Formats: sequence, structure tokens, C-alpha cells
Amino acid sequence: MRQLLLDIDRLLRGRYTKPEDLRAGKLSLPARALIFGSLILGSSYGLFMGIYGATRPDDPTVMQLFATTAKVPLLFLLTLVVTFPSLYVLSALAGSRLKFQETLRLLLAAIAINLALLASLGPVVGFFTLSTQSYPFMIVLNVLFFGVSGIVGLAFLRRALRHVFAPKLPTAIEPVDAATQLANLPSHRRSDMGLSVFRGWLVVYGVVGAQMGWVLRPFVGSPDLPFTLFRERESNFLEGFFNALLRLFS
Amino acid sequence: MKLVACADALLKADAPERLVAEVPGRRLVLMLIVAGFFYGAVMGSSTLRPLQVLYSGLKVPILLSASSLVCLPNFFVVNTILGLREDFPTVVRGLVSTQLTMALVLASLSPLTAVAYLSSGDYHFAVVFNGLMFFVASVVSHVQLGRVYAPLIRERPRHRVCKVVWLTLYIFVTIQLAWMLRPFIGAPSLPPSFFREGIWDNAYVVVFRDLWTLLTK
Repeated sequence: MRQLLLDIDRLLRGRYTKPEDLRAGKLSLPARALIFGSLILGSSYGLFMGIYGATRPDDPTVMQLFATTAKVPLLFLLTLVVTFPSLYVLSALAGSRLKFQETLRLLLAAIAINLALLASLGPVVGFFTLSTQSYPFMIVLNVLFFGVSGIVGLAFLRRALRHVFAPKLPTAIEPVDAATQLANLPSHRRSDMGLSVFRGWLVVYGVVGAQMGWVLRPFVGSPDLPFTLFRERESNFLEGFFNALLRLFS
Repeated sequence: MKLVACADALLKADAPERLVAEVPGRRLVLMLIVAGFFYGAVMGSSTLRPLQVLYSGLKVPILLSASSLVCLPNFFVVNTILGLREDFPTVVRGLVSTQLTMALVLASLSPLTAVAYLSSGDYHFAVVFNGLMFFVASVVSHVQLGRVYAPLIRERPRHRVCKVVWLTLYIFVTIQLAWMLRPFIGAPSLPPSFFREGIWDNAYVVVFRDLWTLLTK
């Protein structure tokens, strides 16, 4: 456990994603630690998030607490499972220096950072859960926190991709093959590629992630509805979020 | 007496975070409780009901410390992600000094509050006046925070982001906590109580609803 926390700490400090390593296409991140770390961090946020369902005045249920604790890390990891193949192909086509495993590790690292920030906001969510009964407010607050931590995770990813797609520093004379030609492209073209890959990933992961969240709902647990592990398939994330916003004002 | 000397040193310090490191933690906590309680007691004395004086006295130190504690885990992670972990102990000491300054400034303003209560018995005036006192104390403590952060930002400009993150989250949480801990003054028409009815309301929801009603009338 201590080693796990140390690994997460080193990741947050950027020790595992040094620019020179990324430029060389190396990532020494321990994938197992990233997965377990993500599970623990996501669960801890889910625990705070699920308190609302467990403490609501009408029909409180501890099942919501357990369900949300499990669902938050699952949301991120399942989204990765669904999107990883396309993300990998996209980056490989753009000439990424990262191999299959390294690409997976990089994405796991971004998720771990995202979840670390989310977990750190857990006490704030817990505080608001215990001090408010407004369901729409809790929905909007949680979407806001997921959004903020997602932006930080994406900022990490964008910075990493910039280094991954950065031009190679001149070393010894090498045989000129396709990869070298790609590596020797003008820096602005390579950084454009990094940006394009990032944008592609952003769209794919963002859309799938939002819909995965919708499929796995309820996370907070509506006070008007009995507990269910999953709700019926209907509507989509955006419609649900705007409905919560409207109910907050009305 | 040691407490007064300590408060004096804190208010005059160029680098308050260094002073916080030198003073024992127990004394810092005591200073926060005493100064916060003092202002809270005066704030709750508008209707001269001893129970409200006690309740309000207890609430101000809770308000000043609890919101910081709720926000600290996130602040720790944000500092770490931005590569500012080495400075985190300094920043925390700076935050402690900021909260202490706020408590001390509030305590120093309590005679003004007492005079204001003597001048007018109007409840709404008392609410506005105390709001003004809290605003003044917040501005002074913000200056103190700026003093703590200035050398850090000079050395690493990323500290500016951390400062903004801290202020945003801290204010967001403090507003709700203050709403929960109402009444601080105690409406004359209501009996003294530690919490008001509707403690589980949400400050933001109430404000949004009122605004919405106002705009759609």
C-alpha cells in the first residue's frame, strides 16, 4: 500500500514522465500500480459521492454507497477499455514513438492523475453532501468536479504528447528510414501532429466517457426514485446535465 | 501574555510563515480559538442573550478552521501536480498565518461591532455591519496571503495558479459552511439556537433560486 502511494506520488510529481524519457518513447510507469491506484482513488471519491444516497431523508440506502464506490473507478477504466484500441491506432498512424504498452501506460497515468485530483475533492463533495439536500446541486457539483479534474488529466496528457511528438535531438548518423524521416520533420509539423492526436483522443475519450457515465448512472441517487444498480437506457449525458441545471434554477 | 506577544509578532512579521514555524502549534490553535471566540461572542451579543453569545463565540473558530481542513487535501494534490510540493509546508504555514490574521483582525474589530450594536438595535443593520467587518478582515488576511505568496511566486510563477485555486475552493466551501452555521447574530424574533431550521439548505441553490425568481418575474 505504501509503495502504491509512493508510486502515485512520484507520478503526480512528474518523476515517471520526464521529457527526455517521453522523447525516447520510454515510460517506466508500473502499470499494475496505476490500475490499483486508480481503483483506490476512484473508489474513495465514489465513497464521498455515494453518501448522498445513503443519507437522503426518503428511502436512504447503503447500496447506493457501495454501488457508487465501485462505479467511479469503473467509469474511467471501462472507458479506457472501450477507447484504447482506437486511441492507439490514431497515435500510431500519427507516428507516435510510444509502443502499445507505453501508450496504455500513458493513458493509465492520465487517468490516475485525473482520479487523484478527483479523490482530493472528495472531502469537499462529502461536506456539501452532508450540508445540502438539493439533488440537482449535487449533480452539477459532481459534474463540475469531474470536469475540472478531467481538464487537469488532459493537460498532463497534452504535455506528455508534446514531448512524445517532439523532434529527436541529433545524435549519431542513422540510416534514413521512414521513422527517421518522420522524426526529422520540422518541429512545428511534429507538434501539430501531437496536437492533432491529442484532439482526436480528446473527442473519442470525452464522448465515450460522458456516455459511459450516463450508462452507469445513478451515481448520486435521485431522492424520488428507488435504488437501482443501473437505470433504464434513455436520453444522453448532455440532456441529463441540462435538465439538472434547469431544475437547480426552477 | 505570551499569546498577545505572539499575536503582535505575527501581525508585524515580514515572513509570517517563518514565525508560524517557530511558535508551538498548540499556541497557534489557542490564539485562533480565543480571537475567533471573542469576535463571535461580541457578534452574538446584539440581543444580549447569553446562549446566543456562547453559540456565536463557538462558531467563528469553527468557520475559520473547518473550511481550510476540507480544502487542504485538494490543495496538496494541486501543489504536487504543479511541481510545488517542496514549498507545500511553507504554504500551509502561510495559510495558518492567514487564518490567524483573520481571527485577530476580527477580534480587533469587535469593539466597533459592540459600539454599532449600542448605536442601533436594528437586526438588518447588525447583519450588514458584521458582513462589512468580515469583508475587512478578509481583505487584510488576503494581503497577508499575498505577503506569504510574493516570494514564492517570484521564484516559481506557478504558485499564482495555486493561490487562485486555494481562494476559489476556500471561498466556495466557506460560503456554504457559513450558511450552515447560521445564525451568527440571532434574529430577535427567534429563540437562540446553534443551528437555524433549514440547516441542510444550500446557500448557492437559495441564491440561484432567488435570482431566477427575480429575473423571471
